[in-house]
Amino acid sequence: MLLAVNQLTKKFKQHTAVDELSLAVKEKECVALLGPNGSGKTTTLNMLAGLLKPTSGEIFFMGKRGIDRSRIGYLPQYPAFFSWMTAREYLHFAGKLSHIPKKALSSKVDEMLAFVGLEDEKNKRIGGFSGGMKQRLGIAQALLHEPKLLILDEPVSALDPEGRRDVLQMMQQLKRKLAILFSTHVLHDAEQVCDRTVILKDGKVKWSGDLNALKQTGRQVKCVLHAEAKLKPWLSSIPYAAKVHFRSATCAEITLQHERDRMRLLKDCVAREIDVTHFEMKKHSLEDAYLEVMNE
Amino acid sequence: MKIFLTLFQKEWLEAWRDKKLLWLPIVMILTAVSQPIALYYMADVLEGAGNLPEGSVIEIPLPSGEEVLASTLSQFDIIGTAIVVLSVMGIISHERSSGALALVMARPVAALHYIASKWLAYAFILIFSFTVSYGFAYYYTIHLFQGVSLGRFFASSAIYCLWILFVMAVTLTVGTMIKKTGGIAGVSLLLAAGLSLLSSLFPEYMKWSPANASRKANQFLLTGEWGDAFYPAVIASSFLIMGLFMLAILLFKRFESCTA
Repeated sequence: MLLAVNQLTKKFKQHTAVDELSLAVKEKECVALLGPNGSGKTTTLNMLAGLLKPTSGEIFFMGKRGIDRSRIGYLPQYPAFFSWMTAREYLHFAGKLSHIPKKALSSKVDEMLAFVGLEDEKNKRIGGFSGGMKQRLGIAQALLHEPKLLILDEPVSALDPEGRRDVLQMMQQLKRKLAILFSTHVLHDAEQVCDRTVILKDGKVKWSGDLNALKQTGRQVKCVLHAEAKLKPWLSSIPYAAKVHFRSATCAEITLQHERDRMRLLKDCVAREIDVTHFEMKKHSLEDAYLEVMNE
Repeated sequence: MKIFLTLFQKEWLEAWRDKKLLWLPIVMILTAVSQPIALYYMADVLEGAGNLPEGSVIEIPLPSGEEVLASTLSQFDIIGTAIVVLSVMGIISHERSSGALALVMARPVAALHYIASKWLAYAFILIFSFTVSYGFAYYYTIHLFQGVSLGRFFASSAIYCLWILFVMAVTLTVGTMIKKTGGIAGVSLLLAAGLSLLSSLFPEYMKWSPANASRKANQFLLTGEWGDAFYPAVIASSFLIMGLFMLAILLFKRFESCTA
């Protein structure tokens, strides 16, 4: 196990930002922290990056207690650099702080600039960089010292669609070489790149596992029924429906307890000689499953 | 050591690109030089001001060179202190609020490296600026008034540097705790002025105070002697400055690990 976190808690005065959170990241695994704003994602990542001291709990990294800051790469949500430096100067500065030997540094810096596509801007002052360019430079500085674990805080939230795609592609490439732990509030981003997702709410882990499995955990089956006759008195009394929502007198959205009850519902309709004009199975989307987990 | 040197180097490059390395000595030189020049032309200025009845004779005895230098240092007590505070107030809080600090601290950088790099870089810059500006004042003094021995000049400037270091140390320490630069400047100036005031009100109890440094420098300029309680004052001030340095590291560590 590359990173293991046990019962991590962070309190700010009265407010508990992270509440007994436990998670683990294996080597070369990509894990997403998913949750709404204010669910404690950034606080968790800051503690794992060694910037914030946990109130209680344990962190084990590479088999040792505590974080070895020379073996992690960290990218905050809004990376800020020294605006008077050029991109190249900044990477040299960052590399020296992370003990990269002088001989290897220059070629490493050039390699990183090429990887994030900043070769043409390498001698320009960072002060003039756009948000997307800063994000690229942020990724370059996080990868420079070949970390074992990359910690990215909302790496794509602030980017335009193109920048988003580029960064997600970079992450796809990177996860072959190192472990990535990143936070996001966009379900789709998590689905695209990560192997495992940890869903947070109010600083607690709500669910964790493969997102594909999350799709299947939605046990409830929804269907929509339109008929010519009124549905009201009869439909609200069927025993196998978890919930019935009438859109109108002749149209209802029914949440069934089991998939097999679908046939039972149709059979009941036939038995009561109800003319069904429309019957639709609603597909269980990832969003539905996510919202279900969040509202549990 | 490599980390400290990298950060130290960065401070110099930043001071150079910011032009701080340029304006700081220039402002200090202007402050210092204005005193001997103003004193020299005082009589002409008063005469030119008019409003004086016909036939009034203005006779201002020309001060000695030592007196001119001493008044230059008193000028520094006010304006120089403010310049030191203003030039140092933002160096931590600015990096903290912009977020650049988080990326530095995410690397294996200790609080000691970070604080020491800023502390030493600015100690050099400020002492250099002060010495150069005081040197200019010395130059004008010996040309417009009379000669002052080099020994008195160097000894008084060395002692005065203690006060500059102290003000810088206070500002840096306050700067580790407060987010807004205005607040940092206000609190630092208040502390420096308060100590100065206390030292002149209760000289008996304040022999350790770094505010005495400027008084001792004055005394040495005028008399060539340090007077009583010189060594205790120097040693206590040095310890106080060292203590502030360590306090800054501690406070910085606490602030960084508790809020981010």
